[in-house]
Amino acid sequence: MKAGKLTRLALLTALALIIFIVELHFPNLIPLPGVKLGLANIITVYAVYKYSPKEVALIVAARLILGAFFGGNVSALMYSGAGAALCLAGMLLIKKVIPYRYIWLSSVVGAILHNTGQIIVAVLVVGSFAVVSYYPILIISGCIAGAFTGICAQLLLKRDLPEKRSDV
Amino acid sequence: MTKGVKIIGAVVLLLLIGSVIAMLLNFRESDNTYVSILQNNEVIYSFDLSEEEDRTFRIESPQGGWNDVKIEDGRICIVDADCPDKTCVHTGYLRSEGVPIVCLPHKLVIRFSDKESS
Repeated sequence: MKAGKLTRLALLTALALIIFIVELHFPNLIPLPGVKLGLANIITVYAVYKYSPKEVALIVAARLILGAFFGGNVSALMYSGAGAALCLAGMLLIKKVIPYRYIWLSSVVGAILHNTGQIIVAVLVVGSFAVVSYYPILIISGCIAGAFTGICAQLLLKRDLPEKRSDV
Repeated sequence: MTKGVKIIGAVVLLLLIGSVIAMLLNFRESDNTYVSILQNNEVIYSFDLSEEEDRTFRIESPQGGWNDVKIEDGRICIVDADCPDKTCVHTGYLRSEGVPIVCLPHKLVIRFSDKESS
């Protein structure tokens, strides 16, 4: 990996981490496990459309691990890890069929998959399907949060992509 | 709008509508008074809230950590816990069948149960 690229990836990771930590200080309007805006995913969506799958995975993994330690909630790592893995896999898969104007939709799909991963881990951890009753509200909050972060990422990409991508 | 966008959009929309319906059905306030407290998916407490006196008690987790559960006026909530996020505390009183109080770090679930199992 070239030093220039490494630096850009590191910068994005740092940005995502800062957004993540700032968001931790927001009061949570809907105090249910797994419901949050996930502003750091603006960087994830941006990176999915800007870098290779391997590089995106590096950014997200570094942000998750550092975020868990900085945020002091290491046990949340398995939820966010499973969610992020599923989310990334899904977004990278549908990246090819989603044109640049609909990046927000890909972000919504990512958010839903993220919440799906979290619920699966929660069912395994708690050992009970009681937590599945949270799934509908997670999907709804995921759609809203995903659309919001997706639109932010789309606006960023619009200013950032080379000229040939004028269809954004 | 390409075919891929249409298909994915339709799936997302269906999921969203389904979730809204599920939520409306699930999240109504419950008049049930039978409550179970589960830890590691085993029922550790089970009672009829309408017959319980007001009190606060601590549930210790075998993995370490605790949750303080309060019963007041036939309602139940977690008032304090030593978990990092305190989501269970912020959830407030148990209101509906669809929203159990969950403390993921301590694998604790408080939810309404059927009369028979109490």
